[in-house]
Amino acid sequence: MELERGEAQEVWNEMVWNSLTWLVQVVVFPGFLTLIALALFYEWVDRKFVAKLQNRYGPLHVGPHGLLQPIADLIKLLSKEDITPLAADRVIFAASPLILLASPLTALLFIPMSGVYSTVGFEGDLLLVLFLFMLPMIAIFLGSWASANRFTAVGAVRATLQLLAYEVPMGMAAIGTAIAARSLSISRIVAWQAGSGVWLAVIQPLGFIVFTMCVVAELRRVPFDAPTAETEIVAGWETEFSGRKLAVIRLGEDLSTLLLAGLAVSLYLGGPAGPAPIPPIVYFLAKVTAYVLLISLIRAAFARFRIDQTLRNFWGYLLPLSIVQVLVVQLLAGGVLAWLW
Amino acid sequence: MSVFEVPVGPQHPALKEPIHFLFEVEGECVVGVRPRLGYNHRGIEKLAESKTYIQNALLTARICGICTYAHTTCYTTTAEELMGVEAPPRAQYIRVALAELERIHSHLLWLGVMMHEIGFDTLFMYCWRDREKVLDIFELTTGNRVQHAVNTVGGVRRDLTPSMVEAMKKAVSYVGERVKRYRDIILKEKTVRVRTEGVGPLKPRDAVALCAVGPTARASAVKRDVRVDDPYVAYEEVPVHMVVDDGCDVLSRILVRCDEMLESVNVILHALERLPDGPVRVKAPTRAGPGEVVGRVEAPRGELLYYIRGDGTNKPSRMKVRTPTLANIPALCKMLEGCYIADIPAIIACIDPCIACMDRVTFIRDGESWSWSGEKLRRYGMRWYGIR
Repeated sequence: MELERGEAQEVWNEMVWNSLTWLVQVVVFPGFLTLIALALFYEWVDRKFVAKLQNRYGPLHVGPHGLLQPIADLIKLLSKEDITPLAADRVIFAASPLILLASPLTALLFIPMSGVYSTVGFEGDLLLVLFLFMLPMIAIFLGSWASANRFTAVGAVRATLQLLAYEVPMGMAAIGTAIAARSLSISRIVAWQAGSGVWLAVIQPLGFIVFTMCVVAELRRVPFDAPTAETEIVAGWETEFSGRKLAVIRLGEDLSTLLLAGLAVSLYLGGPAGPAPIPPIVYFLAKVTAYVLLISLIRAAFARFRIDQTLRNFWGYLLPLSIVQVLVVQLLAGGVLAWLW
Repeated sequence: MSVFEVPVGPQHPALKEPIHFLFEVEGECVVGVRPRLGYNHRGIEKLAESKTYIQNALLTARICGICTYAHTTCYTTTAEELMGVEAPPRAQYIRVALAELERIHSHLLWLGVMMHEIGFDTLFMYCWRDREKVLDIFELTTGNRVQHAVNTVGGVRRDLTPSMVEAMKKAVSYVGERVKRYRDIILKEKTVRVRTEGVGPLKPRDAVALCAVGPTARASAVKRDVRVDDPYVAYEEVPVHMVVDDGCDVLSRILVRCDEMLESVNVILHALERLPDGPVRVKAPTRAGPGEVVGRVEAPRGELLYYIRGDGTNKPSRMKVRTPTLANIPALCKMLEGCYIADIPAIIACIDPCIACMDRVTFIRDGESWSWSGEKLRRYGMRWYGIR
């Protein structure tokens, strides 16, 4: 009797402990709070680096070297007046910022950060994450259409056209890594790279380049920022959003940056894997920082493409490149090497 | 595909100044454009009639914040002709140097804005950073970064000291090097070229027919430059090489302005090298006329025209200003025909528009247009605000 009670207690303790660990993992580390803090940190990295490249100071006053400026901006936007246009479809208009925030936040839990395995994950989560990239675009289209403004309408059309441009090459590039690792799980792809000791960016350089270009297009940064082209269509699809909704959209964009950089690092740069004494999270953050700097460099070095030029570049160059990459990978994996041997 | 109309302005977040365009759009393509001007009333021409000739030198500086010096040069040379005085040679040379310095600052500012319009913010920041060098020289020589009140009827109010001359030479040489580098970047950077090459075409024939002026005309291979055609101040003695390009598109307008900056550097160095000695100002009579004079100068944006009529008193009885932007509006409409919607900002920016300098108030109703006298406007204002 005594023993049974002790066993029950043990099982109970274990259950509580597991749930608590899981809760901490989702909410604190590497969950939502850490992710939001990281996203804001990388916004600062991007702003500061681009400012340096453009011979400016960038954020300077809030916190050391302006480190807390993104948080200050977020709090300021949260406290601003939230206007919904009279002609807007209120439900969709209010819902789309939430989708924009929720989908990268969800997808980030599938990215392995502090170890080879992610917080949540299953065989095929790569496809889910790719789907979660598309969801914000649909939210953007609906939200901007619902806000009934001619700038948002033009911005929405451009955003959708851009989605058509980068979605296929991005998927093809990602599938190339999955074929190499023989798994559709992001964690397994990371584990495969750790196991074979070589980064996929080295084996599939074409795929890495295509993926990076698609990341820039997905983030709507220069040179693919036609959907939000400031001088042409004000703020594009986000013109009518203000106050809390705009704050949520901005945070969602920062999280998307973190997510895409994290995914690129996982798929191509070996994720958090690295030599032993240093904890994996350090490798992960260092690689993500390097990748964010790369995107910022692209942002500072180019002018904006017109939307038709964006489409032409993606369908004319990047899609064939990604197909070539997949073919090469498929031939190598499918036994050409074995046959040659 | 059906044609629909897209109105842009006069209140539009992407336009910094009040002007209205009605674009007839077919898909992504602009098939027709109708501009409407006359939203802005500043009353400067009317105000000039109530101020003396000396005071008006300061008033005309306020017409434009960027080409201040071109306006005052045009005003003072025109007024001097009306009075029958001539500024001493040293003043004329200083006017050339400062006018060219202003051309560099205006073109650099424009180049930055142009790059911003096509999304190349890095070059925008670099251009505006280097423009600070020019503004520093303005502060050193005239006392002000902008609105330098140095021109007056009969000469200039401040002389250049040898140390100022040295500082000016050093600064313009540095800026010239930077401009060469930016010209290189623009020519080599693919993303800039695809956004500007072949965009906003203006055939030489159209440029002549629509009376385009300044760099807009010169980029369409039209040899038109007041500094060469009708030299004023000391341009007769300081050789100016006219920059012409036959690309007829936005890219060639960028290149013409870049080359003009380099030419301005040469002109400044040449003028400072041969700066004559002597006074910088002669005493001008306070009264002028009766008579009327038209004067013109090459402002950074193109030909600037002043008309002054004197009636023998110390105030002009009429002053009329025609800024280069107004002359370029018909050419702009021609360029916009057949462009993509995404190219509209770049094309509008490429004539370097200064709407607030250009505008005079006009009433348009049912296809008729008319203007009001100052007295009528005053009465209307009293009625509007319900005061007597």
